[in-house]
Amino acid sequence: MSATLHAPAPRRTGIRRWTAGGWLRALWTTPLAFLLATGLVAGARAALGYEPLLAQQPYITTLMVMVPIGFLAGIGAFDYWARYVSGRPTIPDDHASHGAHSWKDYFKVNTDHKVIGTQYVVTTVVFFIVAGLLAMFMRAELAEPGMQYVDPQAYNGLFSVHASLMIFLFIIPAFAGLGNYVIPLMIGAPDMAFPRLNALSFWLLPIAGLMMLSSYFIGAFGAGWTNYAPLAVQQPDGNLMFQMGVQWAGASSIMTALNFLVTIITMRAPGMTFWRMPLLVWANFATSTLVVIATPFVAGSQFFILFDRVLHTNFFDPGGGGYVIAYQHIFWFYSHPAVYIMMLPGFGIVSEVISVFARKPIFGYRLMALSLMAILILGFSVWAHHMFVSGMADWLRVPMMVTTMVIAVPTGIKVFSWLATLWEGRIHFKTPMLFALGFVSMFVIGGLSGVYLGSVPIDIHVSDTYFVVAHIHYVLFGGSLFTIYAGFYYWFPKMTGRMYNETLGKIHFWLTFVGFNATFFPMHWIGTRGMPRRVADYDPMFGNWNMAISIASFALGASTLVFLYNMIVSWRRGEPAPSNPWRALTLEWQVSSPPPIFNFDEIPQVVGSPYEYGVRGARHAILNGKPVQEGREAAPMEETVP
Amino acid sequence: MSTVAHAETHGHDHHGPPPANVSSRVDSRLLGIYIFIASEIMLFGSFFTALFFARVIVAPEAWPPEGFHLPVYLALVNTIILVTSSFTMHWALQSIKRNYRAGLIAGLTLTFLLGLTFLLIQAREYSRIGFGPDANAFASTFFGLTGLHGAHVFVGLSLLAFALVRSIRGHFGPDAHDHLGVEIPGIYWHFVDVMWIIVYMTVYVL
Repeated sequence: MSATLHAPAPRRTGIRRWTAGGWLRALWTTPLAFLLATGLVAGARAALGYEPLLAQQPYITTLMVMVPIGFLAGIGAFDYWARYVSGRPTIPDDHASHGAHSWKDYFKVNTDHKVIGTQYVVTTVVFFIVAGLLAMFMRAELAEPGMQYVDPQAYNGLFSVHASLMIFLFIIPAFAGLGNYVIPLMIGAPDMAFPRLNALSFWLLPIAGLMMLSSYFIGAFGAGWTNYAPLAVQQPDGNLMFQMGVQWAGASSIMTALNFLVTIITMRAPGMTFWRMPLLVWANFATSTLVVIATPFVAGSQFFILFDRVLHTNFFDPGGGGYVIAYQHIFWFYSHPAVYIMMLPGFGIVSEVISVFARKPIFGYRLMALSLMAILILGFSVWAHHMFVSGMADWLRVPMMVTTMVIAVPTGIKVFSWLATLWEGRIHFKTPMLFALGFVSMFVIGGLSGVYLGSVPIDIHVSDTYFVVAHIHYVLFGGSLFTIYAGFYYWFPKMTGRMYNETLGKIHFWLTFVGFNATFFPMHWIGTRGMPRRVADYDPMFGNWNMAISIASFALGASTLVFLYNMIVSWRRGEPAPSNPWRALTLEWQVSSPPPIFNFDEIPQVVGSPYEYGVRGARHAILNGKPVQEGREAAPMEETVP
Repeated sequence: MSTVAHAETHGHDHHGPPPANVSSRVDSRLLGIYIFIASEIMLFGSFFTALFFARVIVAPEAWPPEGFHLPVYLALVNTIILVTSSFTMHWALQSIKRNYRAGLIAGLTLTFLLGLTFLLIQAREYSRIGFGPDANAFASTFFGLTGLHGAHVFVGLSLLAFALVRSIRGHFGPDAHDHLGVEIPGIYWHFVDVMWIIVYMTVYVL
């Protein structure tokens, strides 16, 4: 699936195959790093006289720092920088590793943002499938009261790894992947600002994911994805895998966010002012700001847990003067903004899709952009609404309740603007549009139950029940995942150069939509009746509901097979896609599908809004001497030139 | 333009990317390091938050607790060393701006050695301080904050070493885009320096 016909790099032979960056070199650098790390810890412990010599946690921690570095050095992620810092002439890699010639090129360090975007999307879908299977195991256990297949700690491991993978390895990076592919195209740039950093931030992801998954070998972490102290300190060693996995995934997302911010600020095409940027670019601008500011706090919180476990510090141990609720404050100061990190890019995708398929300008463009920024700022002032029952200072409750309610205002602005965009539009019910509409309706339910949970009395009543499970899935499944599906279908022709099968896409939507509601809607009910979350066993009075939910969840899981079949078969044998199948105005649709290797032959000149669908004579940009304007509705050029 | 065939018809033109439009007055690499530093400040912020909880919210009777002493004056010497290194760093950058290569190399070397001295004194301080990070929350936050800062000094020293190697090998010049490899480690070094003053004031003095 490449846009390039450049000659492939010459084949390396003999010993050079083992010393040049690639999988063969990684085959020996990774074990080498393993030996180095083991030797380092053993040497240090022997020298300092620590007992016992083979305490597991220091080894595991050091290995999880050094082995990934050894692997990354092996595949060549640091080659350019290694030459730079040693003062040798660097090898310009703009030609050598741009684009992909065959499927094998997707398994190499590549600096082309389009290849990286595809790598991101495929990797995240793999982790999505794995995390989804873990959810299936959970539902199998929960189908009947009593214990059937797993013991309680194994069940804790199932939901913890499920949530961690879905959040850190699917939703956040899937948005980063779509953004990686389309942001440079949308703003008229040939690539990202830091292509090598971009490649590195992709390769950190599979490392983080495999780390979290391999925690099953030494006892999966079972304290949930929130990993509260002191429970996290009492978990088996697999908990270290969560701490380090979060560090790698967090580093990846900070680097990507930094890259997005610099790209958006410094590389926009002439005429592309902030008020002419597509809303997807705005959304990623807001999200990246959140990531840069908030993610260090989750890094900090996991460092403290790590220190408490490995170095026996007392950050959260009241016995040594620590403060156990401090963990929750630090964690949620990141993780509430993280909710918006998982939502704002989806808002951007939906804004694109609804405007294009309703054939109307987006309603309230400036307020749409400003409400993103408002959510960004307000998002930092609500963290303690996750802690109403934690025993924190009482006076914090009401201010946090009020700020939580206030967030509903910018969110409401967005929802009403989408509805107003649809009003009297010529709506085309293609698959991306179905998912976008599904998102708007489901997200309203999730948002409203969020307002319920934000008010102190109701939160105290339903805290740690299935009502919370229902809420988070309406927000993250009905919200984020639906927008990700919308984005996958919307940009599939651009990314692969092929059309997906529309019928299968629609079948997938309806199966998912019905399966999703059948699975998660009853959870509101059993939650208000008091069924606790994160427990493998439950009162037999909930038995019938849980059986129904489990059956629905298996149907929901099966609906993913339709999606996978459609994507794989269409990528291989779908009809060739035209450059602009949706007749969209944004710049990524004005180049071929897939785009040429450097995106644009010449940088476009932007002259107007990207959303003027149905507006006579309105143009978004001039590209290769031709104005980008809507084909059917727009008047011929002569009429509009004064 | 309308089909995949586009790539094939135009693929023969063996050309590089068109230069990207520059839509900001700030150089992308300088902007990158500023954003990165914003992220770093937040990481320090999480450690200061942990200190705040242990000291203000838990509110033990004495801080530092009975029997715990920090070498305030030794750390003051260290502070002076690190502040001095910011000036030598500035001198190095000003030298290359005037194309005075010996000043660049001398400035970077001095900065590196001052930073190394700082780290060694801190290591000595750790080994003689008489308690470990597992003693209590006071010790945990002390080692947490100074250790996090020490790690940043180490990263800064690595960046300085890279710049030094390159300047000895004859890289860098007076043009603005030609000494970014000195300027960016310099910005990072100043950040590490300012952050130390905050850490010193919070951990040792207050």
